[in-house]
Amino acid sequence: MAASLSCSARLLGFLARSGSQGSSSGSRGLHVTVACCKNRAARVRVGKGEKPLTYEQAYHPHHIGHCKGWLSQHPGNLQGEEGAAERTVEDVFIRRFMFGTFHGCLANEVVIKRRGNTLIVCAILLQRLLPQKFYFLIGYSESLLSHFYKCPVKLEVQTLQDKAVYKYI
Amino acid sequence: MASLGSKVFLCVGRTNVSRFGLKESANRLAYSTLAPVNSHPGNKGFPDKNGRGPFRRKPRRDPGEPRTEKMAVDQDWLAVYPSATPFRPNSIPLPVRMGYPVRGGIPPEKKGNLELIKIPNFLHLTPAAIKKHCEALKPFCTEWPSALDTDAKCDMDFPVKVESTDYMSAGQSLRNPSARIVHLKVKLSSLNLDDHARKKMLKLVGERYCKDTDILTITTDSCPLRQQNYDYAMYLLTVLFHESWKFEPWEAEKSVADREEYIWEDSPSQKNILDVLLRMKVAGEGDDQEARDQLLERREVQEYKDSVVRLKNEGESESTMLQYKEAVKKVLSL
Repeated sequence: MAASLSCSARLLGFLARSGSQGSSSGSRGLHVTVACCKNRAARVRVGKGEKPLTYEQAYHPHHIGHCKGWLSQHPGNLQGEEGAAERTVEDVFIRRFMFGTFHGCLANEVVIKRRGNTLIVCAILLQRLLPQKFYFLIGYSESLLSHFYKCPVKLEVQTLQDKAVYKYI
Repeated sequence: MASLGSKVFLCVGRTNVSRFGLKESANRLAYSTLAPVNSHPGNKGFPDKNGRGPFRRKPRRDPGEPRTEKMAVDQDWLAVYPSATPFRPNSIPLPVRMGYPVRGGIPPEKKGNLELIKIPNFLHLTPAAIKKHCEALKPFCTEWPSALDTDAKCDMDFPVKVESTDYMSAGQSLRNPSARIVHLKVKLSSLNLDDHARKKMLKLVGERYCKDTDILTITTDSCPLRQQNYDYAMYLLTVLFHESWKFEPWEAEKSVADREEYIWEDSPSQKNILDVLLRMKVAGEGDDQEARDQLLERREVQEYKDSVVRLKNEGESESTMLQYKEAVKKVLSL
């Protein structure tokens, strides 16, 4: 014990000396604070009252089933059914695809429904592009997604002037 | 390039004019005319005609009024919602609200409401729509045969019942391995079996027979296809039937331990009761077969036999024990 203490003391002394020698570059310390286990999932941080929130953003994930519904439902999540993982991966891809194709125009989250073989993607868009451009993008996404997933894909689109604000945070 | 720059300058000035009030327009105009005025040849006349920038050919159209305004009260709803579709606020003339209300407020309206889109709706299944569906399906349906009006008649004419399940899921694949399982149910009373055949069948079949309902269930899932499993189940039934009718030579060696039910004849209980009665008999008739046969024919002994058989076969219960007690009292004339 004594030997190791003197060893560490010598080491510290060496470090201090090196620190003092390199004082022009500054010294580095190790700071350790207590971890703050705050939940950040799907939560918009509180502002000064100027941030508009949609109903979807205003309620946190633990409100699903109480105040919120499910954005995507399929029988793969039922007891004894298979294919839950494949459907989830499809959902993730479809959401990214829609976010990218209609960039800046999505007013709210994308809702995905499955009826038998078909995929029905419901989206609410803002009227930021010309209707002809919207028609093209809708047709493009439908045909591309149906080629990807080898099943009929239907896009149900509604347009709004502005986002539907639920409250301000 | 210089002309292009000046054009851009001009644009900026003009858009500002459209946004702010008229008071500032004079200042802005004075500011912008300092730069050389250079109209682009592709421009429709003077730039500040519509005040929205020289490159917009058509003005932005206002969104029209929703379809709900134009709907008649007695319209054909089937034309609006012919099949299952998500909620469309502009097609549904109902002032629906959905969602948890804000503090001191009301639930959000239907316009842009994602909650209404998330849930499944049955707007395409109004009673009128269902009636139309039934009318359309009627030509493809046939009547149930009038001779088969009770369950008993169905069982008599169709004793073998085959059950299998079809599965449908949301994925791209139709196949489900559980669809190959076949259940074959038949009542043993409808098969032509005599006593020996029935007992042998029960021994062969084991757990697949349910005593309460008298139904034999054969479940096959060893083959990959349903057709194969069905053929295998029918083959098993045929083989069981024929095998149970056959009498093998080694079946003659059936011992008391193999018997399914209790038989009183030549059992220890018969010997015991006969011995007891003979010893009890005041008139010493002698220990011979005639005396035994006479005793056997007596009513009390027959009742004792019934009670013992019932006790052994059905197990111990209130009624069986009571019957046994009564029979013993009578036999021993207590």
